[in-house]
Amino acid sequence: MKLQVNKQRSRWWIISAAILISGLIAMLVSWAQIGSPLRPGLDFIGGTRLQYELDCQIPNNCSKPIDVGTVRQIVDAQGLTNSSIQVVGQYGLSVRTKERDLKVEQRTQLEKDLSEKIGTFDPNKTQIDTVGPTVGRQLLSTGLLALMISFFGIIVYMTVRFELDYAIFAIVALFHDVWLTAGFFAIFGVVLGVEVDSLFIVALLTIIGFSVNDTVVIYDRIREIISKDGNRAIADIVDDAVNQTLARSINTTLTVLLTLLSIFLFGGETLKYFALALIIGFSTGAYSSIFIASSLLAWWRERTGRGIPAPAEGLSQVDATSSNDASSV
Amino acid sequence: MQKQRSLLALILVLVIAAIIVIVKIPIRLGLDLLGGAQLTIQVKPTQDVKQITPDVLEAVQRVIENRINGLGVSESLVQTVGQDQIVVQLPGVSDPQQAERVLGGTAQLDFRKQKPGTEAQLFAEQQIARELKAQREQLRKAGDKTKLAEIQTKINSSNEAIASLYERTNPPLTGKNLKDAFATTDQAAVNWSVALRFDGQGGDLFAELTKNIAGTGRTLGIFLDNELISAATVDVKYAQAGITGGSAEISGRFTVQEAQDLAIQLKGGALPVPVEIVENRTVGATLGKDSIQSSIYAGMAGLFLVLIFMVFYYRLPGLIADLALIVYSLLTLASFALVNVTLTLPGIAGFILSIGMAVDANVLIFERTREELRAGKSLYRAVESGFYRAFSSILDSNVTTWIACGALFWLGSGLVKGFALTLALGVAVSMFTAITCSRTLLMFAISIPELRKPEYYAPKKVEVSP
Repeated sequence: MKLQVNKQRSRWWIISAAILISGLIAMLVSWAQIGSPLRPGLDFIGGTRLQYELDCQIPNNCSKPIDVGTVRQIVDAQGLTNSSIQVVGQYGLSVRTKERDLKVEQRTQLEKDLSEKIGTFDPNKTQIDTVGPTVGRQLLSTGLLALMISFFGIIVYMTVRFELDYAIFAIVALFHDVWLTAGFFAIFGVVLGVEVDSLFIVALLTIIGFSVNDTVVIYDRIREIISKDGNRAIADIVDDAVNQTLARSINTTLTVLLTLLSIFLFGGETLKYFALALIIGFSTGAYSSIFIASSLLAWWRERTGRGIPAPAEGLSQVDATSSNDASSV
Repeated sequence: MQKQRSLLALILVLVIAAIIVIVKIPIRLGLDLLGGAQLTIQVKPTQDVKQITPDVLEAVQRVIENRINGLGVSESLVQTVGQDQIVVQLPGVSDPQQAERVLGGTAQLDFRKQKPGTEAQLFAEQQIARELKAQREQLRKAGDKTKLAEIQTKINSSNEAIASLYERTNPPLTGKNLKDAFATTDQAAVNWSVALRFDGQGGDLFAELTKNIAGTGRTLGIFLDNELISAATVDVKYAQAGITGGSAEISGRFTVQEAQDLAIQLKGGALPVPVEIVENRTVGATLGKDSIQSSIYAGMAGLFLVLIFMVFYYRLPGLIADLALIVYSLLTLASFALVNVTLTLPGIAGFILSIGMAVDANVLIFERTREELRAGKSLYRAVESGFYRAFSSILDSNVTTWIACGALFWLGSGLVKGFALTLALGVAVSMFTAITCSRTLLMFAISIPELRKPEYYAPKKVEVSP
């Protein structure tokens, strides 16, 4: 089987464009709803998240499951009406205030009131995350800055190691991956209320590294074939390069996905969405390297007149390619 | 062959060394795994202190350290971050509320006079306090938490007992009135003392206070956050007017270190800069343990799946890649211990991820080897050129990952840094193991005649292209 990326490149581009546009729509919907393309988590806007669990070692402490209504009353009484309240399992409780961080006195009061009405909490299972709004903004801006710096660093490195057009299309591909992953999380945000935190930015940066990684291997092969046997149509060369590296692309993505799957399944709550973002981004990364970065390069070289070799030799090669095409369709 | 043998020996030595390192040096765990509180404290400028200079930050840091000593936490860590923040890590703290209350207030420095008739009592109490503090130091080194908490309760009551022997003047002389404090020395530079400078009102109050106690044998007590940090007698010659002029010197048999220490403490207390806790991440001890548990499962499952996949797909080279992967895991964990990485939850994720990515180099090489074999090269040459020709791809792809890691490391905060460092280390070690370990083992395998069948290296495949 030989994959013919360039023959149907408009098809791949349309698929990608469709997914990217649906991501964009989700971001716009999200913008209309909450004023932000993705649902920002605690890390970025600040606030307090409290997680408690009843101490079931104490007799009669866990006689009945936690009632959301009771919790709501207590939380509202503190003037925290916008908070989201969740009962985890039967005896776990998560309270999240919106866009304001609780100072220690308020928190102590809330904790005391909750304990009185519901039961004693186990301090060893308590989790508190409080982020002030300025810290949140700081985390967001440094995160975005990190994204931009690595974009830039990669462009420079690729330009040095390859040529400018390679670098640009590698960046297009990784932009594609980042956008697509963000689009998925915009959809998750709108539908399921999933929030993005600093780990999401980490995930995006890792996706960037991996996506380029994948593209580089294919480009490396394209460059190798050109230097050895440059008198062929660029589309043909790119197709060959993709096919020669295909097993590697699939296998590497597969091994990484295997580890991510295990983080997703066994890694606990904190890492779940982190793993999910990476799963989406890495799969997309493999896809875009094969179908987007390479086909764009071929298209560009054809357009700029660098894709077609000297007529005499090129003709026979092109013939060979087209007959090859015919046999496999 | 000789080269192969010595490389094999080197790898063996490294593996053994790695195992010893892993057993001997425990990897430091982050608070999200250990349980505990991490607080970020923001130092805020005021009208008097318009800018937070490194000096100001250091003085505030000292105040915070003093307060943490008062909490009785072992292995706490206080670090300044950026220009105006201090990060405090309190492992295993069970009452984050108390910690926040204690750490979050503005420092209180004041000068008090000793009550008459308490000289003997003060002497005895100071003796007790000294002993208790020495014990606390020892316990802190030993890391005994329960005993440490006990001692701290005793120290707190001892502090109160001492404080009760003093009274404030009216109006009180506080840190607000202290303009500066610094270590100073006589000509011979043997005896160090601490010089104090007061503002106008402070100078008057200080004169009044010292006049009161000069020559009586009672002391002037300097309290920081209600704890006595210095008790000095005033010479009888000041009994007439007190120490006037707004400056004074606390002399004693200070060493440079002690004098500087006291000066910084005084400065910290003198700064009326408010501090605010702007970030608090507290994780219960049991939750941390659960996280470790689940990450061990995740790591094991991930490693296992990758190992199986490699043997299944790549046969003998796959098996060798698996060995290399296990060597990789050991070396990486050992390097975490050596570089003193603090392992956090995202850090573990970075490590697990790097297991998946570490095989990439092997995959590249083996795919190349297969191609060369199909092109009709001999086994030895195929393996050789597989390694040779895959190298530039391996290097390029790893450099791009490092660029992303670098951006994360320089700009990211604590948790994110951990991820970047573990991933970057992992990638570096994986390059080493892929190039030396897999290669040596593969060459070694080829040297054994029984293992020299090409179908062990590349399963027969129906070729489409000629």
